[in-house]
Amino acid sequence: MTTTYTVFQEQLPELFRQWSREYALYVPARTAEGFYDFRPWHEELEVAWEYDVAYNSPKRHLLPPRETLIRYDLQAYTAEPVFEAPQQILFGVHPYDLKALNQLDQIMEGGSPDQNYLRRREATLIMALDPLTVSPTAFWGSLGADKVNHGYDLYWTKIGPASFLVQVGSARGEELLRRAGEPMKATAADREAARRAKLRALALTRANALKYNWEETPRILGRSWDSPIWRKYAVMCLACGSCNLVCPTCYCFDIREEADDRLEKGERFRAWDGCMLESFARVAGNHNFRPKALDRYRHRYFRKGKYIYDKIGELGCVGCGRCVRACTAGIANPLAVFNELWEESGNEY
Amino acid sequence: MSIKNFSPYVPRPATLVAKQKLSDFVTLFTFEQDNGKPLAHKPGQFVNLSIYGVGEAPFSISSPPEQKNVFELAVRKIGTVTQALHALEPGAKIGIRGPYGSFFPVQQFVGKDTLFVAGGLGYIPLRSLLRYQLRHREEFGRIIVLIGTRDPKERIFTEQIKRLGERGDVEVLETVDRGDETWQGNVGLITTLLPKVQIDAAGTFVAMVGPPIMYRFVIADCRKIGIPADQIYVSLERKMKCGLGKCGHCQINDLNACIDGPVFRYTDIEAYQEAI
Repeated sequence: MTTTYTVFQEQLPELFRQWSREYALYVPARTAEGFYDFRPWHEELEVAWEYDVAYNSPKRHLLPPRETLIRYDLQAYTAEPVFEAPQQILFGVHPYDLKALNQLDQIMEGGSPDQNYLRRREATLIMALDPLTVSPTAFWGSLGADKVNHGYDLYWTKIGPASFLVQVGSARGEELLRRAGEPMKATAADREAARRAKLRALALTRANALKYNWEETPRILGRSWDSPIWRKYAVMCLACGSCNLVCPTCYCFDIREEADDRLEKGERFRAWDGCMLESFARVAGNHNFRPKALDRYRHRYFRKGKYIYDKIGELGCVGCGRCVRACTAGIANPLAVFNELWEESGNEY
Repeated sequence: MSIKNFSPYVPRPATLVAKQKLSDFVTLFTFEQDNGKPLAHKPGQFVNLSIYGVGEAPFSISSPPEQKNVFELAVRKIGTVTQALHALEPGAKIGIRGPYGSFFPVQQFVGKDTLFVAGGLGYIPLRSLLRYQLRHREEFGRIIVLIGTRDPKERIFTEQIKRLGERGDVEVLETVDRGDETWQGNVGLITTLLPKVQIDAAGTFVAMVGPPIMYRFVIADCRKIGIPADQIYVSLERKMKCGLGKCGHCQINDLNACIDGPVFRYTDIEAYQEAI
């Protein structure tokens, strides 16, 4: 059995203070009415314990929107690798986002391990937090993304008005918890309260649910290549890439560079890219391997619902619902698409 | 986690040693690795070439393996990196990553006939395999080379191809989609060449590289004359950016052209809607 502690709200300011001396500490905070995001913690910042979803997913802390890969010298024609890996703590990561980060770990570690990513991951501590409220566009409950049992250093569950159950995921995490004194071992009653808190959160996701067992998604997609559904939605796609930007499991990137004005030194960096953008599969000479919005729209759903599953045994969609909210045309909705495909297939597995 | 003090994104320096114009738009570039080591590639693989300040782009290797520290890329002037590359003169430095990707399984071809099908610039990567086979001529059966080009002005490696046809142990057939006053040969798509050669279908391996539109038709014709589907190899190029199977640009359904390809056995991609 994993070690669990009971931590009281009043202990948190001191813990945060301690941590923020050594680490960049990010916590969920309200940014506007109904909007939350991860923000650097400071004394005056109010942690949004009841946040439903962070507008931006935590992937940006491990795969930043722009990351330098090499610096080069144009005169000597030499290049040096660049690794930037700030010591950081992501506090308050909901389980569906934790699941997405775990996926990112697998993808980046597999094959030719991504050294820039691995270093950032190594320097990052993740503290998960069970949600108390659920975003109206979320459906993670029916995707099995309510429970994640690895990839965190500490896992927090609010069990009372001013108390948390904290589950230890790593020695580093446990050590951090000790920074403000020896924590109190959790009682069986506290553990039971945490179990009930998780179930309450899960119950809140029932309003939006897949109509079938999520594990059937790859099979349903496997039969859907020629479905009229792709066209139905794709005709409205503005190819803006918003769904790619906010998705916690989208990790595609472009590689570009900039040199200084004297052409002496420069850097090559990677920057987020998105498969919904018209230019994504276009090569020199203007040949485009996915020229139509339909091709791109379908590709995205196949990645989320089938390709990633075939690779690592998990859906590439964790049900956070960010794409639903971010889509400028109102067509990015994995829940609607998957359910419609299931209906179309005659409700057959 | 395997953290190494190494970045796969750092190119190795190489020097441009020779430049030879092949057509109005295509030039053959010869490079020497500054580390003195051979590129150690296999036929069909590609490298990512860097021109600092401009960018990086993938190119198929056109020289055979075993060429000391020298390798060749034939490049069409078509984008920013290739424009800049064409402006370089011998002595200039470039950066190189790779070789990357899959390759033609040349050991399987030993003792069999090889049918090369090159559409346009597809001759560039095929030339690596072809020249390897010519260096080990006795290990291979018949070598049949079909080359299709849009028009006579775009033909590349014309001298070498002429000599190839004169060797006596290689069958070379060429066609152009549109002829002109200088062209005496066959006019028509590359599929018009296939009926002109007698092929022992069961004993022939196919190595095919060309524009996306070409594959479906040529593969159908190869199958029609009885060449087994698992003896057909194609190279499918996509937007290979990172070369490491991560950036997502070169996906063919869930395959990455940069690591699962660019060379695929036809039976391995037959069911992939985005392949051909």
